[in-house]
Amino acid sequence: VNASITLSEDERYGAALASLGAGPGTLRKFLTDYSAAEAWDAIALGCHRADPERRYRAKAVPHAVDLVAAACARSGVAVMVLGDLGYPPSLAEDREAPAVLFSTGDVSVLEGRPRVAVVGTRSATPYGLGVAAELGRGLAGAGVVVVSGAALGVDAAAQVAALGVEGAPVVGVLGTALDAPATRRHMALRDAIRCGGAVLSEIPPGAHSARWWFAVRNRVIAALAHVVVVVECHHRGGSLHTVAAALARGVTVTAVPGSVRSPASAGTNRLLVEGAVPVRDVDDVLTAVELAVAGRPGITPPGRPRQSSGQPGRERAVRSPGPGATRVRHALDHDPASLETIVRRSGLPVGEVSLALEQLTEAGLAGGAQGWWWRLGR
Amino acid sequence: MLASIPSATLHGVDGRSVSVEVHVSAGLPGFTVVGLPDAAVRESRDRVRAALLSSQLSWPSRRVTVNLAPSGVRKTGAGLDLPIAIGLLVAADVLPSACVDGTGFVGELGLDGSVRPVPGIASLVAAITGDRVVVPAGAASEAVFVAGERVRPASTVAELVAALRGLSPWPAIARSADTSPTCAPVHDLLDVRGQLVARRSLEIAAAGGHHLLLVGAPGSGKTMLATRLAGILPALTRDEALEVLRIHSAAGVAVSGGAFPSRPPLRAPHHGATEVAIVGGGTSWLRPGEISLAHAGVLFLDELGEFPATVLDALRQPLEEHLIRVRRARGAVDFPARFILVAAMNPCPCGEGGLPGACRCNDAIRQRYLRRLSAPLLDRFDLAITMSRPDVEDLLGGPPGDSSATVAARVTGARELAHARGVRCNAELAVDQLEDRTTLSPEAAALLERRLRSGALSARGLHRVRRVALTIADLDGVPRVDERQVAEALQLRAARSVLVSGGTP
Repeated sequence: VNASITLSEDERYGAALASLGAGPGTLRKFLTDYSAAEAWDAIALGCHRADPERRYRAKAVPHAVDLVAAACARSGVAVMVLGDLGYPPSLAEDREAPAVLFSTGDVSVLEGRPRVAVVGTRSATPYGLGVAAELGRGLAGAGVVVVSGAALGVDAAAQVAALGVEGAPVVGVLGTALDAPATRRHMALRDAIRCGGAVLSEIPPGAHSARWWFAVRNRVIAALAHVVVVVECHHRGGSLHTVAAALARGVTVTAVPGSVRSPASAGTNRLLVEGAVPVRDVDDVLTAVELAVAGRPGITPPGRPRQSSGQPGRERAVRSPGPGATRVRHALDHDPASLETIVRRSGLPVGEVSLALEQLTEAGLAGGAQGWWWRLGR
Repeated sequence: MLASIPSATLHGVDGRSVSVEVHVSAGLPGFTVVGLPDAAVRESRDRVRAALLSSQLSWPSRRVTVNLAPSGVRKTGAGLDLPIAIGLLVAADVLPSACVDGTGFVGELGLDGSVRPVPGIASLVAAITGDRVVVPAGAASEAVFVAGERVRPASTVAELVAALRGLSPWPAIARSADTSPTCAPVHDLLDVRGQLVARRSLEIAAAGGHHLLLVGAPGSGKTMLATRLAGILPALTRDEALEVLRIHSAAGVAVSGGAFPSRPPLRAPHHGATEVAIVGGGTSWLRPGEISLAHAGVLFLDELGEFPATVLDALRQPLEEHLIRVRRARGAVDFPARFILVAAMNPCPCGEGGLPGACRCNDAIRQRYLRRLSAPLLDRFDLAITMSRPDVEDLLGGPPGDSSATVAARVTGARELAHARGVRCNAELAVDQLEDRTTLSPEAAALLERRLRSGALSARGLHRVRRVALTIADLDGVPRVDERQVAEALQLRAARSVLVSGGTP
């Protein structure tokens, strides 16, 4: 937690303006040609150009400023106003940049490094989670900042894996206030990202979020990223908002191909058909990143990590698997299958299949979670 | 002037013998019942009077006092109508007392003089001592299972009085023909296509008495499978059948159409059921609940997540102790409740959470859904499997699996091995018995150790896995628990982890 937050006058009034509940566009208009304090006074007097109907006048009471400032101090949230010195330069140039930005952690990690957004569905398959983790780990190892929405599923898998790499910063952009209550798992993730980088939000502490904020914040993710990687997404979903925002900014959109039968890959596969860059592994993403940051001053191109030798722990001593194990391995494929399916495909009794799965998992040739099984290795 | 007629009243599922004393004396005409009667007993005055008058018998215009001894025991139900009427006839010298010597009575009276059945006949008859017991003709076949030759049926008061006087013979007892223990179960496993893992789990659950949790999308056949468990359980022993009969009779629930119950019962209460309906209790008289009606059989809870949390937590004691202690201000009773619990639920509110990537429920909703199941309850399921919808090929004429009869034969074989260990089924093996009477192969022990060390298995889970592995070994016909059985036992509880972690698949 930032030990003590003391806000400048501009930041105090900026935070107060954000707490009026206006959308990001209106908020920008509030601060066009006005300093934060001037804008606040104008709204309170009912003479602000951007608020001709005086919709926000009733909320612009004097003690609202202190309330927001106190909430920021309480939860250690820093405030950045567009155009001020502390505002992240990487975001400031964007035409839809948030007029007021709240953060915890260290925002300076955004600068000087390539940034990749790894996004995807919350209800990902083991395949999607595995790929997201692999990409997160690999990108962090190459010195790339992994930007994501800090949602569970693909976002979490990528960011948790990236956090596991020493000294690799990650950035999460929330669709809620930074101190909003969340599930325990989500809180833990948020705290981990704050310690290993920065968490951003457009919503002041203590304020309620609305559903549309999640779609709106995706433009911030797209604005921050040099490359967007969609790991898995359904035919509709928040990831596609990020993609649309990225395309509008000319940011490279890449997608991880998935099974044509998997509903969780329906969105990504369609992106590929529509011309997104396919990526199979970290190397593919890094190539896209190199192209994207080439010629941009001040960005260190990603370092290629040592040739990865597959997933760690793959080459363990293999106890000679029985004949059943071979048949069961043939019955597995890379999509998760239920025990039922494997039993039917292999034609072996349940006991035999169970033993074979046990041996294959031990040997690193099969993966399993919560009753679903898939094949590992080639 | 004074008559004392043996009868009985119901206390939980047991009968308690009651002596109905009737005193007729000079004085203002009146009728008093003393000795802790409930409303139904107090109302019996009007029924008895009308029944006697309808049967062309006289009602004494004198002072009548009825005492129900022992007076400290609360008397419930209308079963005391008949003994009160007979006692009245004896005390008023209408019927010679020699005619009712050593005869007990139980039954409710109609205003037309008919004798009607009451709940709990089996228990009531067992509590009445004497050479003869007169019961309502409609419940005579049930009474015969308990009291045999002592039972005398009565359909009306007039007939009964004639028979007691020796003027007419006792009517024959209408015996129900369907008493053979081989009557076929209603649903056969042959109907279930595919679902090899689920069928296997069902067989193991039946053989070892293990509780089974089925997690799966709507339409995956959870209910179909669960209702077939009773059909593959071994037939009830005579003692079990008597218990089942007594419980069902006391609850006023007909069991196997008046026949002697030979098949284990299946109870499937709806999730709207209250805690009292499930565990037993009630205001007027303490009735056995669904878990006791499922005694010696199967309790099937469909949509487990929809049951109120209080109901689910109330199941924990009976699952451990095989009985439920109901304590109320009116009295305390212990109902037997030894059943196999089969529960079915969806993995998440939308029901599609089974297949990774298919569910669109948000994490908070899913967590809230799963949080309703307490970990201690989930701990009591030895088997927890995920079911998915059957394949098209399986539905359209895949090879049928074994029939219920074939599976039942294997189950009976496995149960005999458990009997040899001194328990009814492997689920009842205590931890020390498990250590003493079973052996693990070194590979099996190594596999369990790995799981324990990785934290995937708790100490309680370890014993559960060992019991299930033992049942699998019994079914497979191998003398020692090997790695294969342990692997299968671990595999067949994998769905637990989904529920415990509540995680995204």
